[in-house]
Amino acid sequence: MSSAARTPLQTLVEAAASTGVGNRIERDWTRVEVDPVTLQVIGGATKAIAAEMAQLLFRMAYSSIMRESRDIGAGILDCSGRQLCESDSTPMHCGSLPAYIKGIERKLAGSYRPGDVILHNHPYHGASHAPDFGIIVPIFLRDKHVGFAACTGHMVDIGAANPGFSVDVPDIWAEGLLIDSARIYRAGERNQALWDVLQDNVRTPEANAGDMEAMIACCRLGARRFAELLQKYGLDTVMSAAEMWMDYAERMLRQRIAAIADGVYTAPDGWLEDDGKHFGKALKICTQVVVAGEDIYIDLSGSAGEVETGFNCPFTGSVLPTANFAIRTLLLDEALLAEEVPQNDGVFRPVHVFAPEGSIFNPRYPRGCEARFVQINRLPDQILQAFSPSMPESVTAGNSATVSCLAYSGANADSADDSYWVDIEINEGAYGARCGMDGLDAVDNLMANTRNNPIEETELNTPMRCERYELRDDPPAAGRWRGGIGAVRRWRFLQPVSVGSTGDNRQQDPPRGVFGGHPGKPGRLLLNPDGERPQSLPAKLTDVRFERGDVLEITLVSAAGYGDPLQRDPQQVLADVLDGYLSAPQARRDYGVVIDPPSGLDLPATEALRRQRAGGN
Amino acid sequence: MKRVGIDIGGTFTDFFFWDDETRSMTTLKVPSTPEDPSIAGAEGLQQLCRQAGIKAEEIGLLLHGTTVATNIVVQHKGARVGLITTRGFRDILHIGRKNRPLNFSNYQSLSRQSRPIVKRRHRLAVAERISAAGDILQPLEVEEVRTAVRTLKAQGVEAIAVCGLFAFVNPAHELAIKAIIDAEFPGAYVTMSHEVVPLYREYERFSTTALNAYVGPQTATYLQNFATRLEAAGFSAELHLMSSSGGAVSSERARQNPVSLLLSGPVGALVAGIEVGREIGCPSVITLDVGGTSADIGVAPRGELRMKHLLDTRVGDYDAMVPMVDIDTIGAGGGSVAYIDQGGMFRVGPHSAGAKPGPACYGHGGERATVTDAIACLGWFRPQALRNSGLELQPQLAEAAIEEQIAGPLQLSRQQAADGIYRVITTHMVEAIRVNSVAKGYDPREFALLAFGGAGAAFAVEVGRQLHVQRVVIPRHPGVGAASGLLNTDMKYEFMATVWQDLSRVDGAALQRAYRNLSGQARDSLRSDGFADGDIQLLWKADCRYRGQGYELTVEAPAGATDADWAAAVSEAFHRAHEQLYLRRFEDKAVHLINIRVIGVGQMPRLKFATAGAGDSSPQAALVARQNAYFRRGDSVGVFDTPFYCRQRLKSGNRIHGPAIVEQADTTTVITPEATAVVDELGNLNIGFDGGAA
Repeated sequence: MSSAARTPLQTLVEAAASTGVGNRIERDWTRVEVDPVTLQVIGGATKAIAAEMAQLLFRMAYSSIMRESRDIGAGILDCSGRQLCESDSTPMHCGSLPAYIKGIERKLAGSYRPGDVILHNHPYHGASHAPDFGIIVPIFLRDKHVGFAACTGHMVDIGAANPGFSVDVPDIWAEGLLIDSARIYRAGERNQALWDVLQDNVRTPEANAGDMEAMIACCRLGARRFAELLQKYGLDTVMSAAEMWMDYAERMLRQRIAAIADGVYTAPDGWLEDDGKHFGKALKICTQVVVAGEDIYIDLSGSAGEVETGFNCPFTGSVLPTANFAIRTLLLDEALLAEEVPQNDGVFRPVHVFAPEGSIFNPRYPRGCEARFVQINRLPDQILQAFSPSMPESVTAGNSATVSCLAYSGANADSADDSYWVDIEINEGAYGARCGMDGLDAVDNLMANTRNNPIEETELNTPMRCERYELRDDPPAAGRWRGGIGAVRRWRFLQPVSVGSTGDNRQQDPPRGVFGGHPGKPGRLLLNPDGERPQSLPAKLTDVRFERGDVLEITLVSAAGYGDPLQRDPQQVLADVLDGYLSAPQARRDYGVVIDPPSGLDLPATEALRRQRAGGN
Repeated sequence: MKRVGIDIGGTFTDFFFWDDETRSMTTLKVPSTPEDPSIAGAEGLQQLCRQAGIKAEEIGLLLHGTTVATNIVVQHKGARVGLITTRGFRDILHIGRKNRPLNFSNYQSLSRQSRPIVKRRHRLAVAERISAAGDILQPLEVEEVRTAVRTLKAQGVEAIAVCGLFAFVNPAHELAIKAIIDAEFPGAYVTMSHEVVPLYREYERFSTTALNAYVGPQTATYLQNFATRLEAAGFSAELHLMSSSGGAVSSERARQNPVSLLLSGPVGALVAGIEVGREIGCPSVITLDVGGTSADIGVAPRGELRMKHLLDTRVGDYDAMVPMVDIDTIGAGGGSVAYIDQGGMFRVGPHSAGAKPGPACYGHGGERATVTDAIACLGWFRPQALRNSGLELQPQLAEAAIEEQIAGPLQLSRQQAADGIYRVITTHMVEAIRVNSVAKGYDPREFALLAFGGAGAAFAVEVGRQLHVQRVVIPRHPGVGAASGLLNTDMKYEFMATVWQDLSRVDGAALQRAYRNLSGQARDSLRSDGFADGDIQLLWKADCRYRGQGYELTVEAPAGATDADWAAAVSEAFHRAHEQLYLRRFEDKAVHLINIRVIGVGQMPRLKFATAGAGDSSPQAALVARQNAYFRRGDSVGVFDTPFYCRQRLKSGNRIHGPAIVEQADTTTVITPEATAVVDELGNLNIGFDGGAA
């Protein structure tokens, strides 16, 4: 149980921030009745606008991180910053746009003009983290400001201390350029000086310029499409329909929250390995979830305080959307729903979060806060753990719940100038076992959902050679349903290479098994595994140099099992043995299943052994 | 020449006979025989010949569209496949690109893991490694291969996929592995990654190769059965097959490369549409092919087939790196169900009542209100409309379903509810088309929208009005469009290679060799089909991208010297294509040429239809009934005294003002109040809006 003192409910309700916009709604239009057919038509149209915005962005963007990893978000928001629709691109971006709007409203409210384009990336004023640039275009109907078209996208480089990832930095200025609510277009005219400053201070000016132009085009398209919709149906009808869709999404989520008994649900304390500087000093995560009627309050009090490095999480731009993701995914699982529940302000309304100021989940300016994905991805896992005893059919066993990101860079051998190459690798995780289903192996987990780079592409582009990319050799976490298996990857460096990374190997706190399932398996980074002295490395590296011929082996976390392994279908255990996930002795040890290689499964012996084991408990 | 197009779908097998000399045609629709589709294929063909009064041996060409390969994948009924791969990379197929299809789901499954094409026990790794430059870093361990083959044989696999890293640069190890399989396991269906798709990207190449092995043995058996039946019935023409790239290939090529047949089903209608567009002088076409459960949407600017982006070329959940015509399929059809969801929201589709029990008005026990029921409620179908399919519609069942499930809960009149269902489903279609046209930079006002399938003509006019297309066209036989499209399909053989060069400093000699090599392969394929060299067209293509980008665009490349001028021309073509699709060009960025392709084309004659009988502007002679039907005009739904016409009796020059219904055996055309239809010389219905008839 958590060692944190429980925040009294009333205090929590008052202190917690809604993941939605809340009550500061300005309506300078009239709410009208919208018939159900028009409602469908407008709902479809707004969804199509967000989809079209995203499509334009990843087709027009220059960098692979936007084009292929689809590390972007795009949508339409009203004047109050309520989301009407958002593209279904990557979870980390879903739901962060309202915080960007809130950020720029501090400075610009009431001053928007047609043709304005606003750039914002300040993580202490709504940005998810500094590399996630937000572009915002105000939408006008005739001369009236009626909303915003906005998108976020991950920039390849924003001028931080090191290329790629660097956790061990002193403050936010070491993490790159900060742009707070700046008009890069004022009434249609580009602020060339600002534009030049933005390109002159980054390592990848062409990619950034290309990506920003794509983001601007994306927002302008969204603004145009939304204005067309308003012209066709009228402001009152469109906005009323939008509110009805928000109410619908809210209703769908509230119905499910109401079905959970009121009370406090506490996750076991989780531990992060370190902050990337003080290795060995673990950081605690405390998670309590309070269900009160149709609302959910997530209390992160008691979690570690803010850290000296960049390993902090921006609260509004990262923590809030993540909490919302966790609840929404648990209660409105897309794979189980007959209908799509749209991504809009409604799904945020019932979910609230409290993290004390000065904690790792609510750091104070000017703490660094770029490397937040590792901690963020633990939150949905913690919330699943909290609900585990009471919602056994909906939760998962412990997930890998981290993200392993590595950036490799080096000097271009064949280049006349002193340019260098950078290769970014976001490694996969694994899902905890589910009720009735094994966990997913070697796949992006929870808030992450990107594609890997083909090995053949990396080898054609960089002086690195892949020696292995497979599932881990050790058996998956046992359970009635087994945990997802992590991957293992080995790179041989053909030239000297610098590596920056962020991650968490979960060495001390592996993914938790549930209902008798076994815990997951930690990951590790190992230098020269076949050499005379293999060297274990921490998950977070800041500008570490490797020599030509060095081999780096990255073993990713395997997730946990669900339920008693003695209850696993013996045929499934046999299949796991045949597929090479387990040996026959391991099947006997972990599952009480007797497999005799020539004759196969010995069911009578299995039943006898399982009876004996069960009796022995 | 006398030619036949045979399109075999899950429910019906369609035939389209054409005689180039007499310009006469015969069509036939028979029920399919899913247990062995070649039964209906061969028997129907004989029936068609009797109907057309010709002998089997007179037929010079048989073109076949089949869903056999697609169904094997979708129904997961393929061969037991083994895979031999590079040590260290056993799980490439299992990991894939490591992403998951759904963002907000903890309970999704991944087919590549839960229902793999190749189980892990059948994926065996052997010591071998080739570098990116094609050098052998680790020689092949021959004994390991032999052991692996014996293991797979003992496991009972029927097909083996051979997939080595960088085999597209140097295939020596894959060839050596195949030789060992041939020796140890004669009779196994063997397929090598460098042959199926000699391009970089290991996951996609391995997946494509595994799919090829998965569908290979059964596709080969099917083609053999069909050939045997045809031979027994006296047909001497060789069977050619429609491929997913929109060209026809020989049976032999289809046997070796069955993965190229995947998702070829919907291509026929788009090809037919392109030809209609050419006839009517509007080459840019959008095709809307609607059946009971889904709508296939094709967009062909200037009559050109567009290929799907590599990220989208998959069958079900399995990835295949083969050229596929860009056709979007959405869950919107006559059987789409209308309902009120748990949150009180009114919904139409994507769930479908399917063919059985089907819509309520079919009277086959279907209880849920569907789009077809809405149409029946609006009075657009007379009960005998589907009599040809052995169906007597029962509008009262449709009315009851809509009243109870939609109109009652929403407090609407029955007709308002039915109109609502129709509006929502047409909106879905409009949005899907917009995403595939407007959103990609095409202006719908330059396009004609063509209806295909049994149900396309019921929606096309309304969809076209909302899209602001130039006009809507209902071809003569929308229901057998795919079969007629087959006869407008050229023979096409595509060969490709990864070359990876910077266009600012190309190795012209190496490129020339590579293009020549591919050209030779394409030419040989067409020669085997009996094309003389003079009739063979070789198209050179180049897959390019800006340095640092992850995906390519395919552009045309001049066939000839591959020098600096050539590279500049290809660069410019790429900049242009990039600008068309992505709205911008990056002039200062290096352009990399990643893959090259050569497409050998053997052109086939087009169908040239005889002109329809001419008449005056009045369609009175074709009038079969007049009855009340409901249409939306402006903001309200009203009742109109509506004429029903018989399509066969319409003459060219006839002009029909909406609202009106045109009936024919294979479809019903709904002409809404704002629209006017004119019958053109070839019998197509050309429909324009607000008096501006085409």
